[in-house]
Amino acid sequence: MATQFWRALQAVLDGLLTGSLYSLIGMGMALIFGVMRIVNFAHGAFMMIGMYVTYLLFDQLGVTPYVGFLAAAAVLFVLGAATYHGLLRRIAERSEFMTILLTLGIAQMMIGVAQLAFSGDFRKANSALTTRLLHVGPHLTLNHGDLLSFAISVALATGMFLFVMKSRFGRALRAIAQNRYAASLIGINVQRTQAVAFGLGIAAVGLAGGLLLPALYLYPEVGAGYNLRSFVMVVLGGMGSIEGAAIAGLVLGVVENLTSLYWGNQWAAIVDFVIFLLVLSLKPAGLFGSQRV
Amino acid sequence: MTRRRALLAAAGFGLCLLVPLFQGDYHVHVMFHVALFAALGLAWNLVGGFAGQLSLGHAAFFGIGAYALPLYHDKLGIPLPLTLVLLIVTAVAAAAVIGRVAFRLRGPYFALATIAFAEVLRLSAKNLDNLTGGDVGLQVPALFGPTAPIQAFYISAVLLTAAAFTTTALIVRSRFGYQLQAVREDEDTARACGIDAARVKLHAFMISAAFTAVGGALYMSQIASVVPDSAFAIDLSERPAIDAMLGGAGTLSGPIVGAILIETAQELFKNWFHEAFQLIYGVLFVLVVLFLPEGIVGTIARWRRKQRAS
Repeated sequence: MATQFWRALQAVLDGLLTGSLYSLIGMGMALIFGVMRIVNFAHGAFMMIGMYVTYLLFDQLGVTPYVGFLAAAAVLFVLGAATYHGLLRRIAERSEFMTILLTLGIAQMMIGVAQLAFSGDFRKANSALTTRLLHVGPHLTLNHGDLLSFAISVALATGMFLFVMKSRFGRALRAIAQNRYAASLIGINVQRTQAVAFGLGIAAVGLAGGLLLPALYLYPEVGAGYNLRSFVMVVLGGMGSIEGAAIAGLVLGVVENLTSLYWGNQWAAIVDFVIFLLVLSLKPAGLFGSQRV
Repeated sequence: MTRRRALLAAAGFGLCLLVPLFQGDYHVHVMFHVALFAALGLAWNLVGGFAGQLSLGHAAFFGIGAYALPLYHDKLGIPLPLTLVLLIVTAVAAAAVIGRVAFRLRGPYFALATIAFAEVLRLSAKNLDNLTGGDVGLQVPALFGPTAPIQAFYISAVLLTAAAFTTTALIVRSRFGYQLQAVREDEDTARACGIDAARVKLHAFMISAAFTAVGGALYMSQIASVVPDSAFAIDLSERPAIDAMLGGAGTLSGPIVGAILIETAQELFKNWFHEAFQLIYGVLFVLVVLFLPEGIVGTIARWRRKQRAS
């Protein structure tokens, strides 16, 4: 009985650690899909690019992923803003249908580039930190790498939340979300604000990619599973709610870990989608949101 | 559709049936893919094109068709013709269930819900080892006998395409077809006019599922085995949509044009550019969305309307 309890608690802790990275991915999507209503099917592919940037720094210059993720964020911010400016802006007035197809095409392009540059090989960036364990009491163990990435992602998530809620830019962005036309009338540069916001959302998923690098094998299609997952977080957290998506990320992390503890690893991914379908059909406003789907 | 066009289409499909007389196995194999994806594209077009509901989860029905064949025939010992009937019934029933949940949602949420359903089925097929053989998969019975040549599959795929084409042509000019298009243009107005939007969308979804499932069975029977990642692949949901889009979503012949172009291009690119083909495919895709949003057939139709008007 007692060991059962400790194993469950360990799973919850591990879930929170993974979940903090999901939170960053989810917050990025909350900005892009929740606030700007851009249905971004390239989220996972952008994450993959972030991982390769971090991997290159690690492989060529020996920079640890726990520093390299900053470069990934910078590269992806530029890439994201450029993608919005060059492609998405052009079809902003057309249906969501077109946005879905365009972002699918963009994802396909990025995966194609990664395939050419790095081939389909599985790569891994080992960090000494992930092998150093911290024992909490007699029953719980956590590794230093996960703890560090948890601390970093909590700090970044808080910073991002404050930036969107308090800064002038964040207010402008939320004004656009409420009424695009009125926002432009009071002097907000709609296109530039949206480009920056898109870049920011992509930078967030890039950060997460960099921090996930030590934990995952890297290959061009590694992001595939994170597309739908990030939509799950936005819907679960409530459309337009940045903090909701962050909390939903933690929830998913814990639920996935508990599922693999009790039913086996292979069922963990299904639970995400079942939660998603339940939320969509029973409580479409999400757990924290107020807007109706 | 005018009588002249109907004759033209019939002649076209008739000519396609003669092709194996003149071509070798490799070419017939490529054309089998073209015909199969044309059928899948036509099926998708009923929901995605005419009803305007972007389903990205048609892999669910493809996979159901692919798995129903070995499950009903080999595991339960049901004879092949009856298996085919049951396979269609299963897919239609699945579409009824999925549609009932997914059609409560609109726009991107509908698309996301359909993907989620397909993914749940894929992961379940991976995990239910006793039933589906898990990742090892199952052997799929040969629909046309153990030594059937590729030509038999090609001809069935052409017949499936012809059936999907005829069904679409009949629907488009029917009361049901007009209701579908009204829902696409403006769902709220359509409902205000007394159209039961939920019902017509669901019916289109069920018809579409039936054709997609037969396509899945045909495809996997040719390969002779089925695994979850091939039968329920997200790619199988996206490709029919892309084929239909390039040709022209909501046009009768668009999916066929799209399938011919994309499936042959993919085959050629694979041979010419090897690893770069995925990148080129992505670039093409983006260009189509940016510059040919109505698809090839849709753009030509608009151009001809303009000409006639002036």
